[in-house]
Amino acid sequence: MLKDEFFRTIANKQHPNEALVPTHCSYCGMQCGMNLRVDKSTNKIIGVEPRYDWPVTLGKMCPKGVTAYQQTNHDDRLLRPLIRDNPQLKGTKDGFREASWEEAYELIVRKFQGLQSQYGKDSLSVFSGVSMTNEKCYLTGKFARVALQTRYIDYNGRFCMSSAAAGFMRTFGVDRGSTLPWTDLHQTDCLFIAGSNTAECHPTSMFRVWEVQNRGGYLIVADPRETPLARRADIHLDLRPGTDLALANCMVNLLIQNGYADKEFVSAHTNGFDEMAEVVKAFTPEYTSEITGVAVEKLIRAAEIYGKAPEAIVMFARGIEQQQKGTDNVSGYTNMCLVTGKIGRPKSGVATFTGQGNGQGGREHGQKADALPGYRKITNPKHVEEVCKVWGIKPEEMPQPGVSAYEMFELMLNKTIRGMYLLCSNPAVSAPNQHTVRAALKELDFMVCSDLYLSESCEFADVVLPTTSWSEDEGTVTNLEGRIIKINKAQEPLGESKPDWQIHVELAERLGRGQYFSHLKTAREVADEFRLASKGGYADYYGATWDKIDKQDGVFWPCKSEEDPGTPYMFLDKKFYHGDGKALLCALPYRPPAEEPCGEYPLRLTTGRVVYHYLSGNQTRRIPFLNDMCPEPYVEVHPETAEQYGIEHEEVVRLYTRRGEVFYKVKLTQAIRPDTVFVPYHFGHDLSINLLTIAALDPISRMPEFKVCAAQIDKATEKSSRRSQ
Amino acid sequence: MKQYLYIEMDNCIGCRSCLAACTQCGGHDQRNRNYVYDVNPLVDRQTIPLMCLHCVNPACARSCPAQAIQITAEGAVLSALVEKCIGCQNCTIACPYGIPKFDEAQNLMYKCDLCYDRTKEGIPPMCASVCPTNTLQWVTEDELSMKKEQHRLGKWMSSREPFDPLEGETNVKISLPGILQGKQKLF
Repeated sequence: MLKDEFFRTIANKQHPNEALVPTHCSYCGMQCGMNLRVDKSTNKIIGVEPRYDWPVTLGKMCPKGVTAYQQTNHDDRLLRPLIRDNPQLKGTKDGFREASWEEAYELIVRKFQGLQSQYGKDSLSVFSGVSMTNEKCYLTGKFARVALQTRYIDYNGRFCMSSAAAGFMRTFGVDRGSTLPWTDLHQTDCLFIAGSNTAECHPTSMFRVWEVQNRGGYLIVADPRETPLARRADIHLDLRPGTDLALANCMVNLLIQNGYADKEFVSAHTNGFDEMAEVVKAFTPEYTSEITGVAVEKLIRAAEIYGKAPEAIVMFARGIEQQQKGTDNVSGYTNMCLVTGKIGRPKSGVATFTGQGNGQGGREHGQKADALPGYRKITNPKHVEEVCKVWGIKPEEMPQPGVSAYEMFELMLNKTIRGMYLLCSNPAVSAPNQHTVRAALKELDFMVCSDLYLSESCEFADVVLPTTSWSEDEGTVTNLEGRIIKINKAQEPLGESKPDWQIHVELAERLGRGQYFSHLKTAREVADEFRLASKGGYADYYGATWDKIDKQDGVFWPCKSEEDPGTPYMFLDKKFYHGDGKALLCALPYRPPAEEPCGEYPLRLTTGRVVYHYLSGNQTRRIPFLNDMCPEPYVEVHPETAEQYGIEHEEVVRLYTRRGEVFYKVKLTQAIRPDTVFVPYHFGHDLSINLLTIAALDPISRMPEFKVCAAQIDKATEKSSRRSQ
Repeated sequence: MKQYLYIEMDNCIGCRSCLAACTQCGGHDQRNRNYVYDVNPLVDRQTIPLMCLHCVNPACARSCPAQAIQITAEGAVLSALVEKCIGCQNCTIACPYGIPKFDEAQNLMYKCDLCYDRTKEGIPPMCASVCPTNTLQWVTEDELSMKKEQHRLGKWMSSREPFDPLEGETNVKISLPGILQGKQKLF
């Protein structure tokens, strides 16, 4: 009883002398619909109203969404470019002076050209993000390859969606985060959700999740913590962090053993069953229970429920993906759908909860080290040729593939990369093993950072460029369903801030590459070129015109022509995107996390989000309501563990791993495994849990293992806690 | 069509979006008027919202010596009228749920008004509009009856009033402020 139709009939509240601009939230992949309230006399954004008629979220918003508008006219906004003349001050907030755009551009061009003439084109790098529109993401890739002509570009999706992308690519031959629209979720009979703290990270999915139970359906949750989602699950598979692949293999094994496999589907539409079955055979409930710590009966019951469910959806998120076997975890859990044939139809399928606003679109259009628009590969000569045609360059001018986000920092340390253009990301908080990352940022000869606030990463920059907030520009974003939606402009850019696409064009012109960029004068013109560049790729956006997006409440890709309404459901024809049209059932031998607990480090450290913050917290920590609710990080510890260590609730303890130490207040809770501790990652400087996380990378997706490493806790002595201050 | 604020505690995830949204109503001076509590903070993640229940015979209004708390025809118990409120805080003591808040600077009580400027126009209150979990819902009489039916299917009853599982009427009697007013002093 979700009353979708009722919500469509609710009128918007009209406030006197105000206009409402329909748009979407700036934060996560849910991209909740919202109306921004704009004061007609000042033309400034002053508030928010629910957008009841947005079909995915029906007006609902989490506290981040409700307060998102407060970013735009925030006192901390950067209004003019900043230059720091004294590189000794790198790593601090000090030494910046305001400058004109011309002076900033002149300095950037001089430094970039100097580095490239001395050390070669590839001495520069671009580090980007996906909390921005498709148009900006697309142009960032083109800027790196065509304006800077460097191979080194990668983005923060490498810390977010890369395992899901690689897993889906391997299994299906295509990577669309969800095989079905979110409006199907509540209509299914069983949700199997692994490694997703949905209630805190994608809260507006929750009314659909609870509705499955309201209808008598089942909720199965795999998570080391009893999150607000797991609290109400029919089965909570409370596994040890980093053991997902064993759990997934066990589920598939039990599905096969107990006759839930759809043999017809498997033989007609998949490859690899025999090899896969051979591998999962070993994962009996007993053996799996030993690895994962989950009770045998729960494993059996979970597989039985999923197997019996007429319709079921497997969902997962960073919990399973941010591991050095994240890609295998994704393919492993997806095997459940393929073995049972519960995919390629309404109400059944697989989905990942996309973390960032444009985590889906931003990974498809050429910001990745080896990717080009339309999900093309830079290593495929045909793909290169297609994109070169749109860009007007010769195929031989296309740079080689680069390296992944974390690996770029390693290249900074060894001076292969000497300059960086950082935008829409805050790796000085969000990247793993911060000691190395911060050292690498300091090592750069020249760094430009474009942001709307002075982030922790800006503190390492020589030039900071003030960029617009999401509400001061327009463009498209692809939400976690694969639905291309439209972000609308609600006010003029604050101060002298500019949208990133405009900065790219103006910088390209000053770098002497204007012929490839100068024609792009509006976001819509970038959109038109980008649609063309995606045409013919897997992620074909050609038919997703802004008009169609408005008319249809978004357009699901692929959308190949003006007439094509788009593709809400993937694989309805049971055709997957591999050459033979079949999906691959991957055989995935289990391997433990890179760091297993040991005598010295007996605990498992895992990290994640809280509902009040988004990513590195650069935005949300500045919003009073959100910061009041969660002003500092903490370490969640089970009372039994606390008793062993003799530590108490709210006591400050030293948490340490092989990479470093941090001091946190203890939050006692029984909602976590006694062998595991949890810390939210939204905080910077000395409070960053990423000072402790491990940079063990997935061999395929290059995703770091944020979700598990070996750790230990000490009572903080007076001396040690003073050190942290 | 009369609609009700309906609360399904089980659904709450503690996101406090209802509090954030309360500040955005327009008539709320950017201040939230409700509460979300951790039920067992050291044990689990169960949280519950505590909203004004808009009592049929509200203690806050009954205790107000200045008749500053109006009750609308629809049953919404409004915030104290600025021109009438004398700042005595009887209401904040009287309310068994601790709902009314007090602004010292303004010498004024303020509380949930069920977003009356919205609900009178058929727009759901802000809290129920944004609630991502359907803990707070804005429902019709028919939908309420369906909820009651659903309760009756249960093998056990969590309510002492099995035939009216959604009612909030209590068996505890609470004294309004002022019980000592007529008391004769001993000397």
